Amino acid sequence: MAEEIKKRTTYLSRGALKPRAYVGDGLKVTFRTLVRTTIHRPNTIQYPWETLVKPECYRGRPGITLETCIACSKCVKICPNKCIEMVPIDHPTLGKVKRPQVNVARCMMCGYCAEVCPTDAMIVTPEFELAAYTRSALMYDPIKLQHERKPGYIVHSPMVTPSEMKSGRTDSHDKGDMAIKDTVQLDSRKCISCARCSKTCPVGAITMTDTGELNPKTNKPVKKPVFDDNKCVSCEQCVDVCPKSCLSMKEAM
Amino acid sequence: MTEMWVNMGPQHPFNHGLWNLRVKLDGEKVTDAEPVIGYLHRGWEKMVESRDYQQIIPMSDRLCYCSALTWSHVYVSAVENLMEVEVPERAQWIRVITIEIQRLASHLMWLAAVGTDLGSYTIFLYAMRERELFLDLLTNLTGARMTYNYMRIGGVRNDLPENFERDTLRACDLLEKRIKGEYYQLMDQNTPFRMRTIDTGVLSKEDAMNLGVTGPNMRGSGVDFDLRRDDPYEKYDEIDFEVCVEKEGDSFARYRVRMREMLVSCDIIRDAFKKIKEGPVRVKTPRNAPVGTAFAHVEDPRGESLMYVMGDGTNHPYRLKVRSPIFVTVSAAPKMCIGYKMADIPAIMGTVDMCVGETDR
Repeated sequence: MAEEIKKRTTYLSRGALKPRAYVGDGLKVTFRTLVRTTIHRPNTIQYPWETLVKPECYRGRPGITLETCIACSKCVKICPNKCIEMVPIDHPTLGKVKRPQVNVARCMMCGYCAEVCPTDAMIVTPEFELAAYTRSALMYDPIKLQHERKPGYIVHSPMVTPSEMKSGRTDSHDKGDMAIKDTVQLDSRKCISCARCSKTCPVGAITMTDTGELNPKTNKPVKKPVFDDNKCVSCEQCVDVCPKSCLSMKEAM
Repeated sequence: MTEMWVNMGPQHPFNHGLWNLRVKLDGEKVTDAEPVIGYLHRGWEKMVESRDYQQIIPMSDRLCYCSALTWSHVYVSAVENLMEVEVPERAQWIRVITIEIQRLASHLMWLAAVGTDLGSYTIFLYAMRERELFLDLLTNLTGARMTYNYMRIGGVRNDLPENFERDTLRACDLLEKRIKGEYYQLMDQNTPFRMRTIDTGVLSKEDAMNLGVTGPNMRGSGVDFDLRRDDPYEKYDEIDFEVCVEKEGDSFARYRVRMREMLVSCDIIRDAFKKIKEGPVRVKTPRNAPVGTAFAHVEDPRGESLMYVMGDGTNHPYRLKVRSPIFVTVSAAPKMCIGYKMADIPAIMGTVDMCVGETDR
């Protein structure tokens, strides 16, 4: 095997210079290229008027579909340059909602925001001609960030869990699958039933339910949050907002 | 004639990037040399300490624009060693293929740079033309031309697109034909190129080993060492390939090592496509790394690159140390330059394949 590979890759030896190589060989190559490129014209493209064909997965600036966005702030958390910010907008059909605004001047086009988006509202668009005269023109507010959708613009990174890989299962899970979803866990001893988590949840996966106990001081029923794991998008907003830090993320492994 | 110091850089036509080679001249002869680096220092190692493990991957792509994939690969390998993650087999094969494509692109970039250093604009255009083939392949695969953000902790981002194998094998065939034909006639058989590179910049075997020179520069000095063979990572232990060694140690030997390595990379890609199997490409990894240290070292196109990660139980590293191959190799510049004429310096340092982005970090 090694001998065969060696024979196949043998590059011509270091060898001494042949007299004809002074001008002959190089000139032959350039002349052949000249003829070939002259026949197969044009070899370059006239850039501003015509552009190269880009694959659909090309990562330019991020784009968004306002209707499917649920304002979960996962893109804000993952952004390495912290160029995404949730801003309130007044949308004709959606009303007053929060949607991401991207500072494209700081964006490094890594595509993480589209990769973590649980509803695929965030996409990467092949738009790369982003030069502007002012910096404020590069601050893409949610309305300006909108872009048409194509299947290739959606970023998916299917994965398996380590336990499944050990057991030999080979089909990978897309985002949102229960098998790879991180879920929220409650430490009910610390919980003060403030219901901030259920108010902040973007998908309404948290409901405050009666535990059957009565508060001895006020004689009112004690309510604790219950998490619907199927609805949960693991955005961790409830974990961040909890005043007693009694919520934690349990990673699916 | 009195001796004098001449600054070649930080902005000089022969410099690939911002670094300064101070040379002491006696007439035209170089009697002393001193590389000065640090003009491109961005505080990379400190900067990444405030980012979590996933956010560092696009940062490590920015270390070197010629070989972004190998740098993100060495980073994710180090973190995988820290987290003790087992990568799926298909992901390992995809890593081997993409790293070798990246090596081809990087060596072609170097060939283009050497061409312009030595005044041959033809070879610059030819090498860039072939490099475009491989950048197009990686664009189809990852979605970006240079900063790929493709490696993930526990695998790679996505599976190979359709027709990727066919396109890659075609590009490899074409490159092999060009190296053995056009490049050989334009560079190896070119009298001015041979006169400028043969017997200039000789780095002896002892000096190369003592100064810590790695990669093609070391193999050009006759040291038979390649991390892909001697400390195999990913799937390199299942691939039989030739380690290119030239014993002369001059600029021409370093040139030939890289040209032969391109042919070997083509063979590795062909071999990997035969052995690749279906399966998952990414495994889920924990968010927080355990307390401890880990490192990974790989064979970069420029030499041995190493990353040392220190985890403190949170989701961002306590310390991340980068061992850059060119940072060490540039210390051999005085050994290579002393005794030759000043006009030889572009030919000598051009074949070293400087990349200042990773050197200064």
